[in-house]
Amino acid sequence: MKDYRMIFTKTGMSKYISHLDLNRCMFRAIRRSGLPAWYTEGFHPHLYLMFPLALPLGVESLCEIMDFRLNEERPEKEILEKLNAELPEGIQALTIHEPKMQAQEIISAEYQLCFRSEMNLLPLWENFMQQPEIFIEKKTKKGMIQIDIHPLMNIKHMTSGNQKLCLTLQLPAGSTQNVNILTVAEKFQKCAFQAISIKNIRRTKIFSENFQEFF
Amino acid sequence: MLHEKLTAHLLEVQKPARYTGGEIGQVVKNPEKVDVRFAFCFPDIYDIGMSHLGMKILYSLINERENYWCERVFAPWTDMEEIMRKEGILLYALESGDEIRNFDFVGFTLQYEMSYTNILNMLDLAGIPIWQKERGERIFPLVVAGGPCACNPEPLAEFFDLFILGEGEEVNLELMDLYHRMRENGATRSEFLKKAAGIEGIYVPSLYEVTYHEDGTIENIMPHDGAPEKIRKRVIPEMNQAYYPEKVVIPFIEPVHDRISVEVLRGCIRGCRFCQAGFLYRPFREKSTETICKQGIRLCENSGYDELSLSSLSTSDHSQIETILDQLLNYTEKEHIHLSLPSLRIDNFSQSVLEKITTIRKSGLTFAPEAGTQRLRDVINKNITEEEVLRTCKIAFEGGYTMVKLYFMMGLPTETDEDIIGIAELAQKIVDLFYSMPGRAKGKLQISISTATFVPKPFTPFEFEPQAEKAEILRKQQLLKNAIQSKKIKTSMHISDVSQMEAVLARGDRRLCAVLAEAWKNGCRLDSWEECFQAEKWYDAFKTCHLDPAFYANRKRSYDEIMPWQHIDYLISKSFFIRENQKAHAGQVTPSCRQKCSGCGANQCLGRACF
Ligand code: SF4
Repeated sequence: MKDYRMIFTKTGMSKYISHLDLNRCMFRAIRRSGLPAWYTEGFHPHLYLMFPLALPLGVESLCEIMDFRLNEERPEKEILEKLNAELPEGIQALTIHEPKMQAQEIISAEYQLCFRSEMNLLPLWENFMQQPEIFIEKKTKKGMIQIDIHPLMNIKHMTSGNQKLCLTLQLPAGSTQNVNILTVAEKFQKCAFQAISIKNIRRTKIFSENFQEFF
Repeated sequence: MLHEKLTAHLLEVQKPARYTGGEIGQVVKNPEKVDVRFAFCFPDIYDIGMSHLGMKILYSLINERENYWCERVFAPWTDMEEIMRKEGILLYALESGDEIRNFDFVGFTLQYEMSYTNILNMLDLAGIPIWQKERGERIFPLVVAGGPCACNPEPLAEFFDLFILGEGEEVNLELMDLYHRMRENGATRSEFLKKAAGIEGIYVPSLYEVTYHEDGTIENIMPHDGAPEKIRKRVIPEMNQAYYPEKVVIPFIEPVHDRISVEVLRGCIRGCRFCQAGFLYRPFREKSTETICKQGIRLCENSGYDELSLSSLSTSDHSQIETILDQLLNYTEKEHIHLSLPSLRIDNFSQSVLEKITTIRKSGLTFAPEAGTQRLRDVINKNITEEEVLRTCKIAFEGGYTMVKLYFMMGLPTETDEDIIGIAELAQKIVDLFYSMPGRAKGKLQISISTATFVPKPFTPFEFEPQAEKAEILRKQQLLKNAIQSKKIKTSMHISDVSQMEAVLARGDRRLCAVLAEAWKNGCRLDSWEECFQAEKWYDAFKTCHLDPAFYANRKRSYDEIMPWQHIDYLISKSFFIRENQKAHAGQVTPSCRQKCSGCGANQCLGRACF
């Protein structure tokens, strides 16, 4: 038995594959690949697959993670090739390696977010960020709660021009605290009272503590 | 490539992956290098259509031809339709994203009557005129249809260029070949249609004229321009040679049946008198054990699915079923694949077969006795006895099952209140059996009864019968509810407006084209979805067209009435159906084809006896 971690992209039309559907898609890809997949014991054996951090529907990514298990050790290159042969367009395995970190160690993720509008977007964004607090609603076990995401948004880079605004943004992610990038984007759309469309959102990095990239 | 207008809105709809294509197994070709493009349209949403076996077969079959390209098209759900209409996006094929109005063929599969308005809606969304005569003389797009409901295509006659009757594996390619040749020679639509009518299995409705008596029944159906008097369905005589795909498109979203299927046989030996499929797909033809195992294993390997279904109308009627199960189980158990047999019959459900299946999956047990008393089961020729039901339940309870689902019909010919009460009594006996067993399975017993209103269909011995009126069905539903005593028995009963419309369309004539168009204009579509069906709009459409649904649904036909499908030949003789109808009313059963041939006529395509 041997654990593997796959880092993969989810770009283009594949961003419309939901998390649940991605699970089935990967499951079948592994089965088709002919790799010796590991199954749980018991009456209904199932293939072991784990996604440490879910990606919202409609968001692209360059750094998705999937953990799986094989019955025996295989060269990483072979696994990479066999899986890539079975993955749909937009989903591409970048590396296969032994998991080094635990899923619980994930604390944040970085996104690229691009908006488009007829307006000049920069002042709208500045207005948005000048608010002392930015509240979003979040569903929890105890019901809906309000949280202020303003202090949680770490803007690392920004370019604007020609009715376009692109941000590189870091947000809390993982099991302790998680902010959905789509909620942030939608909040801006709503606050601006203008027709703004989201051109693209892409997850670019997943971090553990001390800004180490999750590996 | 998908339209930019579309991708801008994809996150606003439920399950956007219904509309993107890009699945593993889809076939993409270079449009410059193909000669004929076929849009295979399933007139319901993706989730339903992607479960359909016939589509998988024909998709692969056409795509095996290098210069032909078949793509998939489904009906959009209401949220997507709204966006398409607002943004002016025309219906496109999933593989290329190209608008289907420029395709050579736009082909629909007719699986159930309540999908007919979806066809009109899809044509309209595609920017193709819904009426055949408004499509002009340019040869494409040809709007064609096949599938079981093509056995009485008359309610759709004025929308389609042609219908493909029977099994499509050969005739589809013949039709495309003829088209390819004639288009190269600059033929017009009507020139092509006249030629196509000469292919066996091709019905061109515009080449037939229908006249009516004053009472609304048909006086005559007359062919012109050399069209044949009778159009005979196509049959693939040897199933082992029939085309079967090795690869299928694997959907991202979960369709209603998320599994891979291998067809094990075609036809049915049973002759249940209400069952249209049982007659439409005759004669009975099996695939060999070798073919089934080879195809099943190949499909599992190529798809990665973990459920393989052995599909047919009655899989346990395969003469080699135990060998097939043994051989397949060797493979499937090793590969962690569930083997499922969706159409088990109760009477030959032997202990050993059951054991083989229970080792794989413990889901509920489903039976379809269809009628509550032996008398009525004899009338409909559903040859299941109460003892058999109880015996199988006993085996099942011993094997750990605690859920039993029972399916019945209401409003069957000759049905009395006693037959309805019989449904409750049968369910009660199963409850009593469970509690009388010391070795019964642990867990909660659950018996569910579901009833559907009987819909008389063409090409069955009950094609002459009236459908029960709604008030009568409602009364019987109440009667059944009152007769149920145990809390372990749950019922689900369907409302009958949809059933009436289904009955109208099933046995309808050409005058219903106007009703369909009117209903669709009023906003009817996705009628098989409870949340979308709007009975009043249908009744309004009938009023506007001065037609009475009861004339079609609730009227008894005499044996010599000319039926709207009189010119359509599904190999089974009308005299056989009359004989069977008389036997039904006399409460006489007909043995299965394997026991004794009843001379239905279906074997004429084989040139030998069926067995
Ligand atoms: S010809 Fe005879 S055996 Fe064949 S399907 Fe008809 S009744 Fe059955």
